[in-house]
Amino acid sequence: MSRLSEKQYTRRAMVAMALYTAFMLLAWPLVRTTTSVPLKVCLALAPVVPMLYVISLMFRRIRDSDELEQRMHLVGLGVATAVLGTLSLIAGFLSAAGILKLDGTVLIWVFPVTVICYGITRWWVSRRYGADAACDDDAAVPRYVWFLLGGCIGLATAWFSRHSLDDMSEGFLCGAGAGFLGMGLISGITRWQRRRQVHD
Amino acid sequence: MNNLVRDLRGEHGWSQADLAQKLDVSRQTINAIETGKYDPSLPLAFKIARLFGMPIEMIFVPGEE
Repeated sequence: MSRLSEKQYTRRAMVAMALYTAFMLLAWPLVRTTTSVPLKVCLALAPVVPMLYVISLMFRRIRDSDELEQRMHLVGLGVATAVLGTLSLIAGFLSAAGILKLDGTVLIWVFPVTVICYGITRWWVSRRYGADAACDDDAAVPRYVWFLLGGCIGLATAWFSRHSLDDMSEGFLCGAGAGFLGMGLISGITRWQRRRQVHD
Repeated sequence: MNNLVRDLRGEHGWSQADLAQKLDVSRQTINAIETGKYDPSLPLAFKIARLFGMPIEMIFVPGEE
């Protein structure tokens, strides 16, 4: 199996994320009202399918990476594991002490937190190895577009699901969406300034 | 470690993307090697030397300690 180009990887991941968002907006609201248990299970697990595909894409990307990319993946995944482990430990002890009330839905955030930590760490490590706007030009989709898209998806999900979400989830989605929009703006402005410096 | 990868690439008229494709690595890796931010592994260093037709020790020079 040949190595996927950045464009191929990005396109497939975006399709999967779009499917995931569609499932969350269209299928998930039906889970609580459906009485049939088999249908309830299918609807509840529907968003998992595109996520499993994204995980397979990540596996393939890491497997096909060169030596420097694999080093960056390793550092990113290591930091993500440490952050997630620490958060789990803190939340677990607080929950056991009766200070924090947690239910099973908190497990949904394990993968997103892992991916966010991995992404931030990998970005920071790649800058240490000289990644800059010039290397970003190779990407099918510039980084700031990813952030803006993530922000829009987060805010749209919060808006359309506001009647079925609890206050904490809705607040988190709004905050995360606004944060991603802010990062997209900063990233876009930084990229524009760097390109101006190159052309000057 | 210092190296002559950028100079040799320029002599052949290759872009970083061209060299990355010939060595089956990413352009970021080539950029990191040329700027001295990353020292390649031995197999990759030998691959570079074979591509440029030069001994490995003529391309990669230990830096000042």
